[in-house]
Amino acid sequence: MEHESRLERWLRGIALALVVTFFMFPIVWIVLMSFQTNETILRMPPSLLFTPTLSNYEALITGRLVSNAGVLEIEFMSNLMNSAILSVGSVTIALLLGVPAAYAFARHQFRGSEDIAFTLLSFRFAPPLLVLLPLTLYFQELGLADTYVGLIWVYQLICLPLILWIVRGYFEDISPDVEYAYRISGHSWWATFRDIALPLARPGIAAAGLLAFIFAWNNFIFALVLASADKQPVTVGALAFVTASGIQYGQIAAAIVLSIAPTLALALYAQRYLVEGLSLGAVKG
Amino acid sequence: MMTGPGIELVDVTKRFKGQTVLDGVSLAVPQGETVALFGPSGAGKTVLLRLIAGVIEPDAGQVRLGGRDMAAVPPEDRGVGMAFQNFALFPHRSAFENIASPLEARRHSAGAMRAGVETVARMLKIDHVLGHAPRALSNGQKQRTALARALAGRPKILLLDDPLCNVDAKLRFEMRLELPRLLAEEQAATLYVTQDYREAMALGDRIAILDRGRLVQIGTPADIYFAPATIQVARLFGDPTINLLDVIPETDGRRPFARLSDTRAPLDTGLVHAVGRPCVLGLRPEALRFVAAGTAGAVPVTVEAETPLNEKTVTLAVTKRGREILVSRPSGTPGPVDGPAHVGIDASHAVLFDRSSGDRIVPKADADAHKRGAAA
Amino acid sequence: MPLAAAVPAPPRRRFRIGPRLLPYLLSLPALLVCIGILIPFGTAIYYSLQRYRLSQPWARSMNWGENYINFLSDPSFWNTLQVSLTYTVLTVGLELVLGLGIALLLQKRTLLNNVISVTLLLPLMTAPALAALMWKLMTNPNFGVLSYLVGFVGFEDFRWASDPSTALLTVVLVDIWVYTPFIMILLLAGLRSLPTQPFEAAALDGVPRFVAFFRITLPMLMPYILTAALFRMLESIQQFDIIYAMTQGGPGDTLTVFQVEAYLNFFQSTNVGRSAALLLILWAITFFFSNLFIKNWLRLRERARGEH
Repeated sequence: MEHESRLERWLRGIALALVVTFFMFPIVWIVLMSFQTNETILRMPPSLLFTPTLSNYEALITGRLVSNAGVLEIEFMSNLMNSAILSVGSVTIALLLGVPAAYAFARHQFRGSEDIAFTLLSFRFAPPLLVLLPLTLYFQELGLADTYVGLIWVYQLICLPLILWIVRGYFEDISPDVEYAYRISGHSWWATFRDIALPLARPGIAAAGLLAFIFAWNNFIFALVLASADKQPVTVGALAFVTASGIQYGQIAAAIVLSIAPTLALALYAQRYLVEGLSLGAVKG
Repeated sequence: MMTGPGIELVDVTKRFKGQTVLDGVSLAVPQGETVALFGPSGAGKTVLLRLIAGVIEPDAGQVRLGGRDMAAVPPEDRGVGMAFQNFALFPHRSAFENIASPLEARRHSAGAMRAGVETVARMLKIDHVLGHAPRALSNGQKQRTALARALAGRPKILLLDDPLCNVDAKLRFEMRLELPRLLAEEQAATLYVTQDYREAMALGDRIAILDRGRLVQIGTPADIYFAPATIQVARLFGDPTINLLDVIPETDGRRPFARLSDTRAPLDTGLVHAVGRPCVLGLRPEALRFVAAGTAGAVPVTVEAETPLNEKTVTLAVTKRGREILVSRPSGTPGPVDGPAHVGIDASHAVLFDRSSGDRIVPKADADAHKRGAAA
Repeated sequence: MPLAAAVPAPPRRRFRIGPRLLPYLLSLPALLVCIGILIPFGTAIYYSLQRYRLSQPWARSMNWGENYINFLSDPSFWNTLQVSLTYTVLTVGLELVLGLGIALLLQKRTLLNNVISVTLLLPLMTAPALAALMWKLMTNPNFGVLSYLVGFVGFEDFRWASDPSTALLTVVLVDIWVYTPFIMILLLAGLRSLPTQPFEAAALDGVPRFVAFFRITLPMLMPYILTAALFRMLESIQQFDIIYAMTQGGPGDTLTVFQVEAYLNFFQSTNVGRSAALLLILWAITFFFSNLFIKNWLRLRERARGEH
C-alpha cells in the first residue's frame, strides 16, 4: 500500500500496539508476579516497582512451603517430572508408530488406506471424554489406572493423527523415483526407508514431534480423568496446587511460569513449522 | 560379443485404475544388444522400464532377466542399472556417494568402491565434481552422475529412461556420439527409452516402437525406416516426414502400379493383392528427385518453396491435382527453385498402407519368406 | 548361462515381506493402538442405552433410548445445548473478526510484522487450563490487575467469572486470548499466498481499497476462513479445559457446556448413562462438522502441496 497516509500509519501502529499488549500482557504479568512476595502482590494499586525475589521458585524446587500456618509439602516438581515423562513418552511412541504408518500411507495406495487415515484424523475431533469415561472403568480392571503406560497410550489420540498427517505430507514430497533408484541400486526397502526417506523427511518429523510434544504437555482433560494423584502432569497439578496452597499467589504464579516455559520455548524454537503443523499440513507457513 | 538371454518380456500387461497402460508386450533384448524403446509420451515406456526394474509388478505376463523369472524377485536383487529421466539423485548425498550406492549395497570395500566410482566417473568426465552435492551440479553433470550410478555396478541389464531429454542440445549431441561406444563396452542388455527418432536410430541396434501400450513394431533402424509397420510409425521416423499419398493400386497384368498425376509408379510385384483397395502410398523424400521433362515416369509439379537444411535441401512441390509433396536432395546439387518441374520416383522403397487400418501391406513374397522363417 | 554366473545371487533363503503386505505391516501398530481406542467408544454407546449409576450398581439395566428421550423434557439438557452453542458462536465469531483484522494488519512481510506474528503464537502454545489459571489470577477481586483496571472505568467490585451475568463473557475472553492467534496465523498464511495480480489490477482501475477487500480479498480468502472457522468450531463446542479450570461449570449451571456437564454427571452424580448419552449427542454434532471440515481441509492441503 504505497499511498498510506500519516493518519493511517498512526492508526495501524496503535492497533498493533493494542494487539501486542492484549496478547502479551497476561504472560508478562504472571512472570512479574512470580518474582514477588505475597505482600507486594496484594498491595493496591499494583506497581511495577518491587524488589524481585526468587523465594517462590525456591519453595517450588525444594518442595517445602514455609508459611505462618506451618510447613506445606509441595508436589509440584513431581508434576513437572510427570509432564516430561508423559510428553516425551507419548511423542516417542507416536513417532515409532506414526512415522512408518505415514510412510505406508504416503507410498502405497493400499486397500482402505484413505479410510484408515481419515478415521485416525477424526479421532482428533471426537469429544475426548467419550473415550475417557469408559476408559476409567476399563483402566481399573486392566491395572492401567495408576501407570504412565495407560496415559501414554491415551495421549496417542492427540499425538498420532498429528504426526501421521504432517509426516505423510513430507514423505509425499519426496520423489518416488529417488527411492526407486536406491532400491534398484541394490538396497532393501528397509534400507531405503532408513537411508533415503527418513533423512529427507527429517524436518517434517522434527516439526511434528515438537508440536506433538507441545500438545501432549498442554493436555489437561486426559490426565484429569485418568491420572492418579502421583501421575498428574502440571496442567492438572497446577489446578490442585491453587486449592492446596490457598493464598500463596507468588508460588502459583511461579508454578504457572515453570509449566508454560517449556512449550513456549519450544514454540519459539520451532515457529517456522508451527503454521503447517497447527493446520495439520493444510497451509504452508 | 557376449550373448545369452538378457531381458525377456512375455505378454506383459499392466493396468492402472482400469486403464490398460501396457497391453501384451513381448520383447527380447539379448545380452550385448541395445534396443531403443521409442514412442510418444504416454505410450507406456516408463512403466515398461519400471516393470523390468521391479518397482511395479505386471498384472499379467512374465518378466525374465538373464533367463530367470523375476515374479518374486525384489528390485534390489534383479541386478539392474537404471538411469531416470529426472535423474533421481539422492539429494542429501554427494555425487560420489550417489555413484557408489550400487557398490555400497554389495558391500564392496572402501578401496574397491573408490576405484569403481573413479573409473566410471573418469569415463563420463565427472571425476572433478565427485565431492559436490547434487544441487551444486549442472544439469549435464547431474545427467552424467545418474548415468554413472546406473553403470557403476556393472549391471547386465541396463535401463536408460530418456537420459538426454533434460540436457541442453550441445550435450545431447555429444552424448549421442559417446553413448554407443560406452554401451558397447558394457555388453549389457540395454533398453534405451527416447522420444527422439534420431536418438533411437543412432543408439539402437534395434528399435521397438510402443504406442498406447502396444508394441507396434520391432526391427533394425533400417527396417523401421524403410518398412514401417503403420502410417503412424512412418510419420514418426524421418525428417522431412514421409510423403503420404492416397492411391488405389491398379495393375497392367504384369505388375501393380499406383497412378500419380497420369504417370504410373510401379509397385512391388508382391503387392498384387492390394489392387483395387483404397491405400496410402508412402514415399520418402529421398526417393524423389528432380528430372528433366520427358523422362519416363516423371510427374509434373510446381515448386513452391525450398528449405536448405544442413546436409540436405528440402523442396515443397505441388502436383497437378494439388497434392503437396516433399523432395529431398543433397545440398549443393542443382535443383529448381520455383516454377514447373518434373519429379522422378524411385519406387523401390515405396511403402503401401491400407487406408482404413493404417497397417502396412506386406508384399506377398516377403510375407511368404516371413512365414517360412517363422516355421523354421 | 553367462548371466547367472555374473549376478552374485547366492541361493540364501530368508524371510521376505511381500510388497503387498508391507504397507499393512507398517501401519498395523498404529492401527492396533487406535482400535484400542475404538473399543471404549463402543462401550460409551452401550452405556448411553442403559440406566447406569455408579452409586446404584444394582439398578443397572438396559433402558434403550430412554436417556435420550428424557433429554427432550430436561431443562438442564437444553441449558447445556444453549450454553455450548452460545459459547461456540461467540468465541468463533469474535476470533474470526479479530484474527482477520490482525492478519490484515500484519500482511506485509516486514521484520516487525514477522516478530509480532511469532510472539502472538505464545498464547496459543500456553496450555488452555493454565491460561485459565492466569486469567483467574488477573481477575482476582483482591489483587487482580484486571479487577483494578475495570475499577477505573466505574465497575466497582466487578466479579468476572464468579458472577453468573459475566461468567460466560469472562471464559469467552480467555478463549479469545488463547485461540485468536490460531485463526490469525492461518489467515495470515492464506493472505500471503494470494496472487497479487488481481489487487494490482484493481488498484490500476481505481477501485477503492475497501471495495477491493470485499470483492477480491474476502472471496479468495474464503477457503482459509472456512477451514479455520470449522476447525475452531469443532474445538469450541467441546471446550472443557478453560471452563473447567476457571469455574468448574459454575456459578450454578451457567457454564455447563457438553463436556463439563458430562464430566460432572459422571464424577459427581455418577450418572454414567446420562453422561454417555450427552457425549454421543455432542459426538453426532462434531461428526457432522468434522466431515465438512475435512472436505475443506483436504482441498487446502492439496493446494499447499501443489505450490512447490
